[in-house]
Amino acid sequence: MTEDAGHGMALQMRAISKSFPGVKALHAVDLAVRKGEVHAIVGENGAGKSTLMKILAGVYDPDEGSIEVMGNPVGTLSPREARDLGIGMIYQELNLVPDLTVAENISLGAMPQRGPFVDYRGLAARARAVLAELDADIDVGTRVGDLSLSQQQLVEIAKVVSRNPSIVVFDEPTSSLGEKETRILFNVIGRMRQSGIAILYISHRLQEVMEIGDRVTVLRDGRNIETRDVAGITPDEMVRLMVGRELTEMFPKLDLAIGEPVLSVSALRRAHQFEDVTLDVRAGEIVGLAGLVGSGRTEVARAIFGLDPAEGGEIRVRGKTVRIRSAREGVAAGIALVPEDRKREGIVPDLPVRENFTLPLIGKITRFFLVLAGRERSTVQQLADRLNLNPPRIERPIGTFSGGNQQKVVLGKWLLAKPAVLILDEPTRGVDVGAKADIHRIIGEFAESGGAVLMISSELPELLAVCDRIFVLHEGGLVAEIPRAAATEESVMRAATGQVDA
Amino acid sequence: MTLQTSEPGARPAAPAAFSAGSLLSMLSIPLAIVALMVLGSFVSPSFLTARNLINILNAYSAVGLAAIGSTFVAVCGGLADLSIPANVAMGALVALGAQSLVGPVPAALLGILVASLGGLINGVLIGYVRINPIIVTLGSGFLLLGLAQLLVGGGIVYAEPSAFGSFVAGNLLGVPVSVWIFFIVALLLHVVLSRTPFGRWNFAVGGNYEASAASAVPVRFTKATAFVLTGLLSGMCGVLIALSLGQARPIIGAGYEFVAITAVVIGGTSLFGGRGSILRTVGGVIILALISNLIVLIGWPTPATGLATGSILLVVVAIDAYLRRRTGTQ
Amino acid sequence: MPASLKTLGSLVVRYRLLVMLAGVLVFGGFTQDDFLTLTTFQSILDRAAVVGFLALGLTPILIAGQIDLSIGSVMSLAAYAAIALQPELGSLPAAFAGLGVGMLAGAINAVIVVGFKVTSLVATLATLLIGASLALLISNGQPVSSADPMFGLALTNEFLTVLSPRSALFIAAALVMFVWLKATPSGRNLYAVGSSMPAAISAGINVNGYVAGIFVLSGFCAGAAGVLQALSAATGSPLAGSALLIPAITAVVIGGTRLEGGRGSSLATLGGVVALGALTTLSEYNGIPSYTQAVYTGLILILLITLDRIAGGNGGKTTRTLRSAAVKQA
Repeated sequence: MTEDAGHGMALQMRAISKSFPGVKALHAVDLAVRKGEVHAIVGENGAGKSTLMKILAGVYDPDEGSIEVMGNPVGTLSPREARDLGIGMIYQELNLVPDLTVAENISLGAMPQRGPFVDYRGLAARARAVLAELDADIDVGTRVGDLSLSQQQLVEIAKVVSRNPSIVVFDEPTSSLGEKETRILFNVIGRMRQSGIAILYISHRLQEVMEIGDRVTVLRDGRNIETRDVAGITPDEMVRLMVGRELTEMFPKLDLAIGEPVLSVSALRRAHQFEDVTLDVRAGEIVGLAGLVGSGRTEVARAIFGLDPAEGGEIRVRGKTVRIRSAREGVAAGIALVPEDRKREGIVPDLPVRENFTLPLIGKITRFFLVLAGRERSTVQQLADRLNLNPPRIERPIGTFSGGNQQKVVLGKWLLAKPAVLILDEPTRGVDVGAKADIHRIIGEFAESGGAVLMISSELPELLAVCDRIFVLHEGGLVAEIPRAAATEESVMRAATGQVDA
Repeated sequence: MTLQTSEPGARPAAPAAFSAGSLLSMLSIPLAIVALMVLGSFVSPSFLTARNLINILNAYSAVGLAAIGSTFVAVCGGLADLSIPANVAMGALVALGAQSLVGPVPAALLGILVASLGGLINGVLIGYVRINPIIVTLGSGFLLLGLAQLLVGGGIVYAEPSAFGSFVAGNLLGVPVSVWIFFIVALLLHVVLSRTPFGRWNFAVGGNYEASAASAVPVRFTKATAFVLTGLLSGMCGVLIALSLGQARPIIGAGYEFVAITAVVIGGTSLFGGRGSILRTVGGVIILALISNLIVLIGWPTPATGLATGSILLVVVAIDAYLRRRTGTQ
Repeated sequence: MPASLKTLGSLVVRYRLLVMLAGVLVFGGFTQDDFLTLTTFQSILDRAAVVGFLALGLTPILIAGQIDLSIGSVMSLAAYAAIALQPELGSLPAAFAGLGVGMLAGAINAVIVVGFKVTSLVATLATLLIGASLALLISNGQPVSSADPMFGLALTNEFLTVLSPRSALFIAAALVMFVWLKATPSGRNLYAVGSSMPAAISAGINVNGYVAGIFVLSGFCAGAAGVLQALSAATGSPLAGSALLIPAITAVVIGGTRLEGGRGSSLATLGGVVALGALTTLSEYNGIPSYTQAVYTGLILILLITLDRIAGGNGGKTTRTLRSAAVKQA
């Protein structure tokens, strides 16, 4: 670690400002983090969190302001220099080499040598030592590509920690983790905190911030709105500071008449992924699908839609049995899926918003094989307005829009197809608060018009707020069906972890 | 495979750059054509005559068909079809070789069919089995060319005189039939690429394969069809040349894949997929035709064309890569 | 597909090298009287040395997730230079000049890929074309005979019973490369570059330097292939390497190196080269013409790549499925 001249302050960022062409990302932001503190940073998308962290990481240079690490002022940083100064970054997209072993990954770029050769024994020993420090049980000879996501994250952390950082930044570390793996992560963070490392924790998950954080800084529109002890704040207040308005109806829940089953799935199975899954969703209903990561939720959704077809079992839509072996058959059966990974499976970034909206049903807006451009445009424009697309420019490439707006387009794309069943996989992940409200409103409207909604979410509060029933998966099997009245975080979590009452 | 850090969540959003860049790229083709014509007129007095220009176009009409196919391949993200020479050869050899058996017109159709089958092999392996297009088309081209040579024992096949052959080799309203065919096919396929669902699918598949699959676009079919189409067009190319020359040998299509790719790239279509147009490729073909004629007029030896083509390819792709990085997409 | 067939298939794919070697040896042993002799083996190794160097140069390239299509053209240029420059420089310096030409070409590739950030696929496609044209231009399309034919003759003599100086060099090179790749930090770093470039960059690895380096290395190896071939034949042909790209790639693929990067081994390439060499020698003993050999070489390449894709599948991604062996939390 760097020499401490900062009287317990690991990091002082003062009056940091940063502009990009056309937008001022940060206005004179102050940030102070103590040694051994877990300092959370929250804010909507576009609030400036990642810009601030990129400045710290040396990816960007600030236009104004100063940075002190352990009391020593630092000039403009390169990523290399930032690392040498003891700043470690752990991004959502892990930076590991899948084809090398755990040991090689941990010491990548600085492997111990014996002459011109790699000292493999020293390499392994070093890796084992770091992993032990973090209380992580992983075989250092394993190929990283063969590890689970959570284990990979631990290796990444080990890699960063092995360089003896004074500051470590976590950027949305739990967004792909389930409950159990989050526990493990918090345990590791606790160890790091004990050894005096200052930890910056960026997250959308306010409950986690309450649990793991010592202090929290709220950013909004590039400014530091407030820094407070976690003990003296509530998630509601955090939200209020983040958006500047009270969000009492964060998750509006309409009271709808529930009709006949629209989607019925029985004994669905897919080898190594899930087995004997039976559930149903009725008209006007929003049904939740909960479970730990790896429990098979996304796999079930993809099987129902047809992207990764099931190997056994039956699917019925509006009473009629359907065979779904592909996404096309899924769509033909009246099913739609908003996928988990927006960037990978949701949008075609270079195509304009209009073409993204009409992608699934472009074959139908034609005459004599030619696309009817006028009809396409008017239909899309209406939809974009209804969705509150910001800015409402349907000819702009969708890649230039924010995550929340992109998600609205993905959602809208499927609404256009007029499905009977709408399956949503993490519909508000990585989406800012304003867009989140819009998305929930639209889901509600869809249910109101008689549609059936199956929603996967790792945010329990979200599920609990909007769902009429919650099915819980555990290790590929359906273990519980919890009606709204009986649904609490504990009851869902208990089922998800396999502790079901007989 | 670029050498860049991945930046999570960067949102550059410079729409202004888009319109300036695309305006520039829309004008650059006509500008280049005009510039080349001006240059040509300086080099030789006979350059700007209708006779000469039509001859130039005629020389490049056949390979232009292959370039049209390569446009689909590029747009859908299939990079390039390196088996074009093999399919051209197949089309040519079968069209002539089968003449005595089934007559000139059926033989020509058979030639196109055989080449389409070559394209089908590519299409299945690339679209359905999902193997790297360059390696597949390198391998299939190698294989099919060897097969073509095997069929003719390494010799030449001659055309039998026929009305059909004379028609194809001749003129219609003062313009060679080859040129007519090129422009008609180009127009037809331009409409297909820009205004039909299949065309839209090509852009989507090239822009983001996974997202297209998740949006119920028939991704494998789209990619496969692009290669079948290219095989078909290569076959047509071979038939045209064979009938125009009156003879064919396996080496007939040598180098055509590079001309096709270069025409596509010069026209502004990106090899990485998601963007492009047939009209641009037509512009690229014309530019290449003018350049090669210039080289001949100046008196440089024939391999110089390959040198010029390769260099231009390099320069244009470097610019494309640079521009893509500036607007944040790659 | 029935499970037993599938396991058999994946076994064949995993041990394809052995399967192929065994197949060729068995078939050869039965059909030819003197196939299974040391002389034949020596001859196989000797002939394989040329393609072998090409394949060796290609191996780090593939491991790093790149590709080099220009190796054939570079080989031609080096072959021509090594002979054509003999009168002026003397035999040995001319040979080194050939190596130098190879390295220069590799450096040019490096500049284009690393400096101008053009994808290696497109970049080396262009340099392939440029190099081939250049070779034809410089030589006027004619091969040049060596002024000192005795110089290179010793290269194919017997050396240590089963080797020749040529093949000894090749095997030595393969061994050195093996040690480099598996046991040195720079070798491991190369795998990182190919497996996850962002991770390599953030670990402080000079990715640009590595990529540039392996292109120069590939050029050097292509140069070596050209020089060895030209000296042994006492002729420098501008087409020396034009047909060797596919066999080189095929050899690497037979050996088991993946095209996606992150995995590979020079010993595996050595094995692939020997297997392919055995097949070629067997074919020549049976008087099979080169274009027929092209058919089944292409077929083997396509078959293996297809099988790799079907049987292998996953690169480095974790499967998020349920009973993955690694999901064993405490």
